[in-house]
Amino acid sequence: MTDFLNYVQREWGTIFSYTLEHLQLVGIAIVIAILIGVPLGIYLTTNKYLAETILQVASIIITIPSIALFGIMIPVLSMIGQGIGFLPALIALVLYSQLPIIRNTYTAIQNVDPNIRDAAKGIGMTTFQRLTKVEIPNALPLIMAGVRTATVLNIGIGAIAAFIGSGGLGVLINSGISRGNSNMVLAGAVFVSLLALVADFILKFIQARITPKGIK
Amino acid sequence: MIEFNDVTKIYGGDVKAIDDISMTVEDGEFVILLGPSGCGKTTLLRMVNQLESISQGDIKIQGQNVREMDKIKMRRNTGYVIQSNGLFPNMTIEDNTMIVPDLLGWDRKKKKDRFNYLMDLVGLNPDDYRKRFPHELSGGQQQRVGVARAMAADPPVMLMDEPFGALDPIIREKVQDEFLAIQKEVKKTILFVSHDIDEAVRMGDKIALLRDGKVQQFDRPSELLIRPNNDFVSDFVGKDRVLRSMSLYSVEDLVTTFGLKNKEDTITDTKEISIDTSLRIAISMLLNQEADQLVIVDRQGQAKGSLTFDLIEKFLHQEVKGA
Repeated sequence: MTDFLNYVQREWGTIFSYTLEHLQLVGIAIVIAILIGVPLGIYLTTNKYLAETILQVASIIITIPSIALFGIMIPVLSMIGQGIGFLPALIALVLYSQLPIIRNTYTAIQNVDPNIRDAAKGIGMTTFQRLTKVEIPNALPLIMAGVRTATVLNIGIGAIAAFIGSGGLGVLINSGISRGNSNMVLAGAVFVSLLALVADFILKFIQARITPKGIK
Repeated sequence: MIEFNDVTKIYGGDVKAIDDISMTVEDGEFVILLGPSGCGKTTLLRMVNQLESISQGDIKIQGQNVREMDKIKMRRNTGYVIQSNGLFPNMTIEDNTMIVPDLLGWDRKKKKDRFNYLMDLVGLNPDDYRKRFPHELSGGQQQRVGVARAMAADPPVMLMDEPFGALDPIIREKVQDEFLAIQKEVKKTILFVSHDIDEAVRMGDKIALLRDGKVQQFDRPSELLIRPNNDFVSDFVGKDRVLRSMSLYSVEDLVTTFGLKNKEDTITDTKEISIDTSLRIAISMLLNQEADQLVIVDRQGQAKGSLTFDLIEKFLHQEVKGA
């Protein structure tokens, strides 16, 4: 234990920069995933048939082992000279985020009380006003739950992305294993978990701030 | 004014939910669409503000065909209240009430004044409720806010879909009375869906009784009760329909045609009731044997005479048989 703490103390600078790298990868991935997944989830509520298909595709993607997904992307992205590194890792994380984000958004919007939707329509709101003034505010807690799930998931998968050279805390685990340095492996694992906990806590705080007072 | 001309609604090619309905709701008139569930009353209401499409025929509001109007504009100019009040849980009571003025782009001052006026009208203190949220209010309070919201932009026409249906009976009666008082003041043209004959008789200037998408009778409540068009109407209004209809008359209605018996001073067990009392209550008191003599007093508190069964029988004979 003291051994481990000494290691952390000694290598603090390195660990910190790997943590930042990890955070950067996951952060950018989540922002892109929200920009794609939330509008898509909302749109799908107007098209049930397409919704089934898209949600199935997203479910299939999430079942692909991450190592395999990275493997698939190497030849494809090699064509633009990006076979390994940041880009494939980013794409993988965005893809993995889609299921929790789309499904939660879709379910959240669909579960808005039909009476409220009916009232909004009968009062003379346009489709866009209904969405922004009524449906999204009332669906926010569930949409945010999806974002939180995706974030935690991505922080975990982000560690594996180190295999294809995307950097981040996975590098510690990776090189720890190959060098037989258990302190390194442990440091990587502990900081991945800490990062997940802190990220979830911050998102929970954001969720509390943006959720309308009336539905808390 | 709302006009229905040969209005028909067809679902799935052959199911007629509304079957060739023609009727007119005059300005300031309070019309109840009454009927058992599945009779098409809600569908007919929702066709007016185009939440349901019209398969055949026309509906006109203030002379304008609803199909040719801009849906969004028309709905903003038509009050709409639904059973489960449909208040937006994410908005304060003020924001909920002022949603239509907000969509119409009213300025802040005008909205605030309107909110204060409406809250006073529905009997809620504006400052106590302004910043509160729907879930903090009781069912009756929420429904009052629902009514206020529908009247926010002062629409000439109000559509109400069983607005008081979810309230418990005591609160419901109170809110009904309050709403009638409001209606006396604002004189809106109202189309009101109900499945409750008592509510319909209490509230409506006229009742349209529907069955299988057809209007069975469109009449004043007393006519519907006393002279039902067919067996369905008389079954629906109930075996005690004539007794029910007596709630639409006051003792005074009887006094003006038939006068009263002289009060007998030898009978000591008497009970006094006001001339404004409904005939239904007066008859019930006679039936209850609450006193040997029922003395009617006028608004000045003067005893006018006593009410007896044979006077009521004469009155019924005139009203029911039309003699």
